[in-house]
Amino acid sequence: MTGHTYEICLALGVLSPMIGFWLLVFGGRVLGKPGAGWFALVTGMGVPLVLATYVLLCWLRVDDATRAALTENAARFHWATIGGVSIDIGIKLDSLTIAMFFMVTFIAFWIFFFSIGYMSGHSDEVDGKRKYWRFFAYLSLFAFSMLGLVVSSNLLFLFIFWELVGLCSYLLIGFYFHEPTPQYAQIKAFVTNRVGDFGFLIGMMLVFFHLKTLDLDQAAVVFGEQYAAGSGIFASGFTMFGWSLATILGIGLFCGAMGKSAQFPLHVWLPDAMAGPTPVSALIHAATMVAAGVYLVARVFRLMTPEALMFVAAIGCITLTLMALIALVQVDIKKCLAYSTLSQLGYMIFGMGCGAWVAALFHLVTHAFFKAMLFLGSGQVIEGCHHVQDMRRMGGLRKKMPVTCWTFFIGVLAISGAGIAGVKVGGAGIGLGGFFSKDEILAVAYVRSHEWTSYERVEEGHGGGHGSDEHASAVKVGASRVILASDPAHGDSGHGSTAHGASAHGGSHATGKAAIFENTPPLPKWMFYLALATAYITPFYMMRAWWMTFMGKPRDQHVYDHAHETPMMYIPLAVLAGGTAFASYFVFRDLFAHAAPDATDAAMVLAIDGTTHTPAMSAAHSYLVYAVGGSFVAGFALAIGIYGRGLDVAEKIKRTAGPLHTLLEKKYFIDELYHLVWIKGCLVVATVARFFDTWVLDLAYNLLGSATERFAVFIGRFVDVHGVDGIVNGISKTSLDVSDVVRSPQTGRIRSYVMFAAMVAAVVILILVFKPEPSHRLLIPSVASLGG
Amino acid sequence: MLTIGLTHYLIVAVVLFCAGLYTMMTKRNAIGILIGVELVLNSATVNLVAFDRYLGGQKLDGQITALFVIVLAAAEAAIAVGICINVYSNLGTVDVDRASRLQG
Amino acid sequence: MFLPKKLFPAFTAASLLLAVPALAQTPAGVTEAQAPGGLLEALVFYAVAFLVCGSALGVCFSKNIVRMAVWLFVTLGGVAMTYFLLASNFLGAVQLIVYAGGTLVLLVFGVMLTSKSPWARFDVPKLELAAAAAVALTLAVSLCVVLMRTEWHSAEGVVAGATMDQLGKTLLTTYLVPFEVAGVLLMVVMVGAAHLARQEKN
Repeated sequence: MTGHTYEICLALGVLSPMIGFWLLVFGGRVLGKPGAGWFALVTGMGVPLVLATYVLLCWLRVDDATRAALTENAARFHWATIGGVSIDIGIKLDSLTIAMFFMVTFIAFWIFFFSIGYMSGHSDEVDGKRKYWRFFAYLSLFAFSMLGLVVSSNLLFLFIFWELVGLCSYLLIGFYFHEPTPQYAQIKAFVTNRVGDFGFLIGMMLVFFHLKTLDLDQAAVVFGEQYAAGSGIFASGFTMFGWSLATILGIGLFCGAMGKSAQFPLHVWLPDAMAGPTPVSALIHAATMVAAGVYLVARVFRLMTPEALMFVAAIGCITLTLMALIALVQVDIKKCLAYSTLSQLGYMIFGMGCGAWVAALFHLVTHAFFKAMLFLGSGQVIEGCHHVQDMRRMGGLRKKMPVTCWTFFIGVLAISGAGIAGVKVGGAGIGLGGFFSKDEILAVAYVRSHEWTSYERVEEGHGGGHGSDEHASAVKVGASRVILASDPAHGDSGHGSTAHGASAHGGSHATGKAAIFENTPPLPKWMFYLALATAYITPFYMMRAWWMTFMGKPRDQHVYDHAHETPMMYIPLAVLAGGTAFASYFVFRDLFAHAAPDATDAAMVLAIDGTTHTPAMSAAHSYLVYAVGGSFVAGFALAIGIYGRGLDVAEKIKRTAGPLHTLLEKKYFIDELYHLVWIKGCLVVATVARFFDTWVLDLAYNLLGSATERFAVFIGRFVDVHGVDGIVNGISKTSLDVSDVVRSPQTGRIRSYVMFAAMVAAVVILILVFKPEPSHRLLIPSVASLGG
Repeated sequence: MLTIGLTHYLIVAVVLFCAGLYTMMTKRNAIGILIGVELVLNSATVNLVAFDRYLGGQKLDGQITALFVIVLAAAEAAIAVGICINVYSNLGTVDVDRASRLQG
Repeated sequence: MFLPKKLFPAFTAASLLLAVPALAQTPAGVTEAQAPGGLLEALVFYAVAFLVCGSALGVCFSKNIVRMAVWLFVTLGGVAMTYFLLASNFLGAVQLIVYAGGTLVLLVFGVMLTSKSPWARFDVPKLELAAAAAVALTLAVSLCVVLMRTEWHSAEGVVAGATMDQLGKTLLTTYLVPFEVAGVLLMVVMVGAAHLARQEKN
C-alpha cells in the first residue's frame, strides 16, 4: 500500500457513515424497520470497519521509517486563510489515529449490531410516527463525527467534529423526547458541554492568536520554539490564578476535555445521559465520545505546560475518587456503570496529567472494550427484565441469561484489573486489559510522586542492554526509550537527548519542547494514594453490581420469570468479551507506544514496555503489581461477603453509615448546588433586571411618550385639521373616483399579483430571447428592440 | 464544465430565484410567502457577489451592495413578520387568500 | 430508490438544472481563463450547488411551514458556502449570522406566533400549482438560455478574495451615506416592527 492510500481509506471510512446518514434521512422510512438498521450497520460501520482493518494491517506491516514518511507526507488541502493563518483540511496519519480509528469502528460495529436487536424490542413511536430509522440516522451521524474527530489534523476541524459528536449525543440522549427525563438530560448534557467548550474555544483562540497556526503538529513546533526563545505566548506577562498564558492555553483546551469526558465539576451530565437508549450509553457515553476528551488531551499534550498537566492530574484524581465512591451506593444498574465510567475516565485523565501518556490511552482502549460490553450487558438485562433497572429487584439472573452473565463477569474482571501478579508467560503478564493499563498508570504516578526528584534520566548506555544502539532503538520502539528530564542539573543533556531523538524520528517536531519539563514538580503524594485506594474500590462496586444482578436468589419473582436473552444482543457481547480478553493488549499498546515519541516529544512521558523497563520504573512496577493485582481479590471478597446472602448486611451498613450514605446517594449535592447557584442565580439577576426595566426605563419612556403625545395633539388641532386635511381630502376624493375604475382586476389576492408579475416577466424575457435576431447581447434590452 | 465560471453561479441564482417565485405563487401561508421572498433576495445576492467576483475588478461594489441587501432583507423580514402577526390577531389566520381587503 | 416520493421531483429537477451548465460549453475565452479553480473547486461547487438548488426546491415543494423553514435554513447555509467559494468570506459569515441566525429565527417565531398548529396546511388548487410551475419553469429556462448566450466582458481579472479590511474601509468611505441610512432604516424598522406586532389594547 503506497502513496496516499492510507488517507484515502481513512477518508472513505469517515465519509461512508455520512453518506449513510443522508440516505437514511431521506430514505429511512422506505427501508422500514429492520432494513434501516441493517443499512446503517453496513454503511455506518461495516465499510469503515473493513477499511480500518485494512489500514491497521498494512500499518502493522510497514517499518518505522516508512511510517514516519507516511506521517510526514499525509495529504493536506488548503481550505481557507483567516487573518493570515492558513487552515488546512487534512488527515493526521499516525499510530494513534489508526489505533483509535480501529477501536472506534470495531466497537461501534458491534454496538450497531446490538442496536438492531435492542430497537426491535423497543417502541419507536413518537407522536404516533415511527422513528426507527431516525435512531440509526443519528448513530450514523455520530459515527461520521467521531471518526472525523479522530482523523482531524487541525484543531479547528477537531473542534467542528467535537461539536458534532456533542450534537449527536444531544439527539440520542433525547431520542425518547416525548418523555420528560430524556428531555432534561439532553439539555443538561448539551449545556454542560457548552461550559467546557467555552474553555476549549479560549484555548483555541490562544493557539490561533499566539501560535499563528491551528495545525496540531505545527502548533506544537511553534510552542516549543516560543518556549526556547521566550517569545510569543511565553513573552506575555499575563497571569491568572498564578497561571501564565501558556498554561491557560493548555487548561483551556483541557476544559473542553473536562466537558466531554465529564470530569469533576462538569461531570453532572453523564449519569443523567443514561436516560438515552442503552446502546447509546454504551457507544457514546462509555466507549467513544467520552473518551474523545482523553484523546484531545493526548493530541494537544505538546501544548501543555507542567502546571497545566498538574491541573489535569488533579482534576482526574478528584474525579476518579469521588465518582468511585458514588458508584458504591447506586442501585440502578446503568447509573452504577455510569459512575464507574466517570471514575475510569478520571483514571485516564489522571494518567495523562502525570505523564503516563501511553498507559492512559491504553486504558482508554481497554476501558472502551469492557465498558461497551458491560453496558450492552446491562442493556440486555434491562431489555430482558422489561425495563427494570433497579438491581435490588434482580438477582439470580444467571440461569435465565447465562451468556450475558458470564460476559458481564469478564467485563467485571477486566475493569477490576484482574490478573495474576508476578507471573509472566512469554514475556507478557497474565491478566485482562484493565490489569495492565491501570497498573501502568499507577506505576507512573508512583514514580512521579515518590521518586521523581531523585530519579535519574536514562543515559545512553545506561538502560541495560541498549548500549550504543540507542539510535536504532529510538526509532524502533518508542516506549523502551524513556527520557526523563527531571533535574535542572540534567537540563543540558536532557535537551540534547530529546533533540537527538527528534532528529532520529526524521521530524522537526521536538525542538525546544523538552526544556519545558525540566522543572516539572513532583506529583503530590495524596494523588497517588487516592488513585491506589480507588483501585480497591472499583472491584468492590463492580462485583457488587454483578452479584446483585446475576447471583443469589431472585428477589422479584415477576421480573425473574420474564427474563430472557436474545442472540442479536448477546453475540456482540461475546465478541466484545473476546476483544477484552485478548486483542486489546498486544496491538494497541504497541501502537500507542509507537506514537508516543512524536505525539508527546517524550519529554516527560513515562512508559513501561511489556518487556523492557527502566530500572526505577521497573522497580516501582514490580512492587505495585502486587498491590494492584491484590486489589481485585480484596474487593471481590468484600463484595461477596456483604452481598453474598442478599441485601440484609448492606441494609445494616446503610443504616449505620446514615448521613455518609445520603451524601453519596445525593452525589455530594452537586446538582442541588448548581441549581442554587446557576439557575436560582439567573432568576435573581432576571428579577433585578426586570425591576430596573419597569421602574427606571419604562418610567422614562412613558414620560417621554406622554410629552410627545401632548405635542402631537397640539400640532394636530391647529395644523392638521385645517391645512393638511383639506388637501388630503381633495386628493382622496379624486383617487377614490379613479380607483373605482382601476380596481376591477384587483382581486386583493397577493398570490395572483405575484403570478401576474411573473407571467409578464416571463413573457417579456421569452420575447427577448426567442425573437428572430442574431444578436446575443441581451443584457440591456433597448426600448427599440422591445418594439421591433 | 470542470472550470467553474460566472455562468455556473448565475444558474444557481436562477434556480433560487424561480424556486422563490414558485413559493410566492403557491403558498397561502403569509410566512411561506415571506420565505419565498427570502429565496428571491438570496438569489439576487448570489448574483451580486458572483458579478463582483468575476467582473467587479478591485472595487468591491457587488459585495457591499450584497451586504446592504442582506441588511434590508433582515429589516423586511422583521416588518413582514410584524404584519403577519397583526394580520393573525385581526383575522385569526395568516392565509393570504382570506386577507384580500385593505380594511382591517 | 431511497428518496421518498415527495422529494423525488425536487431532486430530479435539481439534478436536471445542474446538468444544464455542465453540458453546455461555457463560452470560451475570458471567463474560462479567469476561473482559478481546479478539480477540487469544481467538485465542491457542484456539491454546494446541488445543496442550494435541492433545498430551494425543498422549500417550494414542502407542504408545511416548519419543513419550509428547515429547508430554507439549509438553503441559506448553502448560499453562505457559495459566498465562501466566491472568496467573499465576510459576506458568507454575515449571511450565516444575520440570515441563518437572525432572519430565520424571526421567521420561525413568526410561524410559532401565527399558527394554531404548526402542522396546519392551506391547500392550493391544482390548476394554480400547474400555472405557477409553468411560469416559474418558463422563466428559469429562458433565463438560463440568456445566460448561456451571453459573453461576459470582465474587468481586470479575478480579484484574489478581498479582505475584511478593504471591505470595511470601502464601507466607511465610499459608501458612508448608504451605511448611515441603513442604520437609520434599521432603527425605524425596529420601532415599526414593535408597533406592528404589539398587542392591541381593547
